[in-house]
Amino acid sequence: MLKALFPTLGRFRFTVQIVMLFVTVYGGALLGSYTVDRISQALPSLSCAYDKVTGDHCILIVAQHQLHHRIGEALVKAQEVTLKVFIPTLISVAIFFSFFFFLNKAFCGWVCPMGTVQELLFRIGRRLGRPLNRLDPSGVGKVRPVKWLLLLALVLGLPLLAGMGVAANELGDPYCQVCPSRLATTLLTADAEQIAVRTSTTVNFALGALGNALFGFVIIAALAVRLPFCRICPLLSWNALFQKLSPMRLVKKQYDKCEKCGVCEKACPMDIHEIGREHGKKAFHEDCTLCGRCAEYCPDDDVIQIRFFGIRLFGSSRDYYKKRVKQETPEGMSKKRVIPILSKQENG
Amino acid sequence: MRMTVTLAAAWIAAMPVAHAADHAAMHGGHDHAAMGGMMAKPVAWTGYPLLKARMNGENRELVTIAPQNIAADGVEAYSNDIRDASGHRQLPMEMGGARLDKPAAGGFHWLSAREEQGDKVRVASTVYFYGERGAKNPAAMFMQQKQELEIIPQPFPREHSRYRATEDWKFLVRFSGNPLAGQKVVLETQNGTKTEWTSDAQGVVTVHLPDDFKTEETQREGGRHGRGMPGSDFVLATQHVEGGKSYLTAFNSSYGKDAFDQRSVAMGLGFTLLGMIGAVPLLRQRKGKAKSGEADHA
Repeated sequence: MLKALFPTLGRFRFTVQIVMLFVTVYGGALLGSYTVDRISQALPSLSCAYDKVTGDHCILIVAQHQLHHRIGEALVKAQEVTLKVFIPTLISVAIFFSFFFFLNKAFCGWVCPMGTVQELLFRIGRRLGRPLNRLDPSGVGKVRPVKWLLLLALVLGLPLLAGMGVAANELGDPYCQVCPSRLATTLLTADAEQIAVRTSTTVNFALGALGNALFGFVIIAALAVRLPFCRICPLLSWNALFQKLSPMRLVKKQYDKCEKCGVCEKACPMDIHEIGREHGKKAFHEDCTLCGRCAEYCPDDDVIQIRFFGIRLFGSSRDYYKKRVKQETPEGMSKKRVIPILSKQENG
Repeated sequence: MRMTVTLAAAWIAAMPVAHAADHAAMHGGHDHAAMGGMMAKPVAWTGYPLLKARMNGENRELVTIAPQNIAADGVEAYSNDIRDASGHRQLPMEMGGARLDKPAAGGFHWLSAREEQGDKVRVASTVYFYGERGAKNPAAMFMQQKQELEIIPQPFPREHSRYRATEDWKFLVRFSGNPLAGQKVVLETQNGTKTEWTSDAQGVVTVHLPDDFKTEETQREGGRHGRGMPGSDFVLATQHVEGGKSYLTAFNSSYGKDAFDQRSVAMGLGFTLLGMIGAVPLLRQRKGKAKSGEADHA
């Protein structure tokens, strides 16, 4: 029964993504306005607090607010910096981790609404015959530090400085103001407020303009690039901080054929080249979202596995690979035909 | 026989004003020992009883709840965690109001003050939210019966949200836990709007918050979650007579300007379009690479 419904890991993940899209974007409308108070308020994915009917919201807005309102202000009054100041932040991180422990970075690959939106757009791009733009190792190397810079500057640094009174108060949650998920999820609820740029102050206007431009770029880029925003998402780096502390792992064993194969690299939507070239801990890279595509498209038995507490949840196999490539190429091109008119026009 | 009396809105509006004015005149403004309650200075924009929450300086965990237009011995506080011992507390009146210390639960707090004189019961109520997580669903706490006549938000704006002008919000009006259908509810705002609404068969009244912000002088900061957006206060009040007693209950909160104030949709769309144009080159097929994906694994 389950095999008929979910013949591939990809189909199962897509189903989970759609369900979680509804929970994270419309959960409050479906389950009650205060649903956000009973799940986590510290979810390891970009479900947005500005979405008035979200079922839960992400850890990043909590982190920014606590740095802004609590820690930053306490640092100014240095004598009051006690453990008590940090307790709410520690509680938020503990709640975040209680979720993260079980799924690890699968929150990025299976739960995050922004990831799902980008993947849906990429599917549309395939149907429209748009090209696939992959990043080579050099390009990936240049992009990877951006997520850490965004985490340090927009999630941690500026909110703290705003709380200390060094930076403008509008910089209390600067990451949220540029996060494309804020616009994507609110637009999905037919709320046009967030797409409107704030004009009250220069800082608000600059953040809004940057956020909207980034959102526009991501929406179009996602038609031809896999997960363009995920690569610079500060939640990817935040989650990477805790990646090694979860028993949910991607495990790759050393295998001689890997050097000449490289199919898993092509299947990886984050262009993690290490998955094809490395093994052991290095193969489970900080950018991995545990989507499982590398394991799906590995043509050899049990070379790549997803394990939980050492128990194999999914592993690569020759038979599965043969079945999977009949449906979709590793790069995500569906075997179903693209829309003929658009394809012909483009090709010629 | 249960008797429900709905009074004309004008009478409802006039009564508490007269009550507060008479009360202040009779007791000299601050000496209310004879009544068993403390009467704060009445506010000018409404005569209905109010509870006003004020932070004590920079300390976000210490809040003073000041009753206005009502003589009350103290303030009742209900926190998210209704099963906890501190879930329901009686806060004694001090100078300037009752001090609400943040319990461990944090989150939403229902606050009410009660004045009872002879056959008249007046209740002020409001909600205060501590920015830290409550980790409890406040729905049960909101729905728990606390007074005879109640106006209960359905729902109250959650964190990162607030009441705003031009929006419709629902409130349940009930007496002894039973919804009151066809009940008149008066809305008054600090900006001068006075209007009334009637509850439906389920006792739910849908209130349209007016866009009545006129001058900058009447606007104040909207609090830490308002991102500096101007805010003002509103009060909803209703009156019900039963068993020879007259009950007046008010619920007050703050509201902000409408969602699109100091925002530009046109500029928002313009910058979004600019970003889209920036990504267009990625959509163009490059010769020799058009079919690379399929060629490798067909």
